[in-house]
Amino acid sequence: MNTTVTVTKRLVNSFEQLAPGHRACLGCGEALAVRLVGKALGQNVIIVSATGCMEIISSQYPFTSWEVPWIHTLFENASAVASGIEAGIRALSRKGEFNEKTKVVAMGGDGATSDIGLQALSGALERRHNFIYICYDNEAYMNTGVQRSSATPYGASTTTSPASKITIGQTTWKKNMPAIVAAHDVPYVATACASYPFDLMSKVQKAMNVDGPSYIHILSVCPTGWRSSTESVIGLGRLAVRTGIFPLYEIEDGRYKLNMQMDKLHPVEEYLKQQGRFRHLSPEVIASIQTRVNADYAKLKEKATRS
Amino acid sequence: MTGNSAIAEAAIRAGCQCYFGYPITPQNELTEYMAANLSRRKGCSFIQAESEISAINMVYGASVVGARAMTSSSSPGISLKQEGISYLAACELPAVIVNMSRGGPGLGSIVAAQSDYFQSTRGGGHGDYRTIVLAPSSVQELADLTHKAFDLSDKYKIPTLILGDGILGQMMEPVEFHYEAPAELLVRPDGLRGAKGRPSKIIKTFTSDPAQLEELNWSLFRRYELIKKQETACETFMVDDAKLIVVAFGIAARIARGAIKTVRAEGLKVGLMRPITLWPYPSEKIQELAKGVKQYLVFELNMGQMIEDVQLSLAGQGEVSFYGRPGGVIPTPSEVARVISRLYYQKGLK
Repeated sequence: MNTTVTVTKRLVNSFEQLAPGHRACLGCGEALAVRLVGKALGQNVIIVSATGCMEIISSQYPFTSWEVPWIHTLFENASAVASGIEAGIRALSRKGEFNEKTKVVAMGGDGATSDIGLQALSGALERRHNFIYICYDNEAYMNTGVQRSSATPYGASTTTSPASKITIGQTTWKKNMPAIVAAHDVPYVATACASYPFDLMSKVQKAMNVDGPSYIHILSVCPTGWRSSTESVIGLGRLAVRTGIFPLYEIEDGRYKLNMQMDKLHPVEEYLKQQGRFRHLSPEVIASIQTRVNADYAKLKEKATRS
Repeated sequence: MTGNSAIAEAAIRAGCQCYFGYPITPQNELTEYMAANLSRRKGCSFIQAESEISAINMVYGASVVGARAMTSSSSPGISLKQEGISYLAACELPAVIVNMSRGGPGLGSIVAAQSDYFQSTRGGGHGDYRTIVLAPSSVQELADLTHKAFDLSDKYKIPTLILGDGILGQMMEPVEFHYEAPAELLVRPDGLRGAKGRPSKIIKTFTSDPAQLEELNWSLFRRYELIKKQETACETFMVDDAKLIVVAFGIAARIARGAIKTVRAEGLKVGLMRPITLWPYPSEKIQELAKGVKQYLVFELNMGQMIEDVQLSLAGQGEVSFYGRPGGVIPTPSEVARVISRLYYQKGLK
């Protein structure tokens, strides 16, 4: 008995999976993304959440913000626990003890996905469990105090990659998680951002209908860790997409599809200058970031044309 | 300075060349201090690993080539490191591991607890091994014992653990460093090198010959016996005329000290025995105290772990009571003082 609300001629589930009253920071882009994901998932799900911001803010004992079945696991195990739940459901279904088509959804931050949980994720993808993995990427370990991760962008200053006279901060480029997942030949991979809510929700709905593993990588603007203003969250997300830093695309059965055709990219400087974590970057470094972003975007475009 | 920063600074001054960290509360300041300061030193490197398992194995790698290496974490992360610590112990490699422990089981919470006593003092991972375990109770001691941990670890070629907790790590106190960082890097001469022009060095811990494995374990055991004889450390406070002795370590000892001052003011003769090395355990000191004092109160922030070592040390020569609080709420000195005085009267010591 889902009710819906009409937003600009489209129907959106009014059900809130993430109840209000959680402890997210002001302007949290991730909490917004979780709400939108929840609307698209509906209630017939079991959510497995890795340690991270989302677990800490939403499940402080004895409270919970989750309106659906939800289990927490340690940092590295969300995909493994999801595999176990899915295997359990299959076993019970065969015996006629479990008659619903419940989707298992694993969630983790960028640390839990691209660092410590990569092995378990790879295993679950390879075994082709029927589950969705959603990575909420805020580009560092925000929950423990802004430490770098392998998803932290080049040049960002964090507490464990502090910018100084001798270093620009993060000296490596962001790990390409969607490509790593796509290399497992999974049916559906997508990138999304809460600044484009309908795009995000339609991708989650697509993933719900996939039989097998699917992966959605969501860029979550984090004013606390990015040292940006809380009212610019939506705008920053849009800029990340329009500068080509975080393009929106899907990979369906290996075929790339760009969701926003951008003939001209906004300059990366527009995006970088709004964030304290990039404040120290010299024009030369910004130029090198621009070159890299252009090249990466061209590569992506080429993949999309070839597909 | 916070306890976490004090450990980091002390480690740099002790000549730590490689530090491998991974984010976990409540020890992040240590990793952050290292990120800002260790990487600036010539020949030193800071790496944030992709997991705790990687961090401890980076320590394994750095130690095998002869560098002074260190890692730090908190309880759940230390659990992940156990396999690596077992390997370090088997390969007889020095390493310093800091556990700013928190309450468990599972994710638990980030407040202070002492529930990792068993894990720390009984080896922790698989196999019959031990690590030296140091238990500081102030920021100054965190700094001093960090330095000592590197030296002990190198001297006996054994991984050494510093067992703190969330309060010690986050607490700010004045601290004095008695050492300057060495100008020259300390490199162990037995470190692994490429084998160009000479026969290669091989460290082996796996053997299919049962007799060889037994000999390996005997050699570790003999070293552990030597450490027990030479490196046991503890502190006593007002035990000379005591009729009741409180045994506590780390932050619990600090609370107990405050409680003892309170009950002393009321005329109760109570003292404190604080083990500084949790392994090797200062059993001899307890046996010595047991010649005069028969009543003991073990106070821990867990539901009874160190009490087993106290009972084993006493071997029936005294009566042991227990006051424990599982992780969560930290009792105040006056709460502990009430427990002490109730026991004191119950046992007819006054």
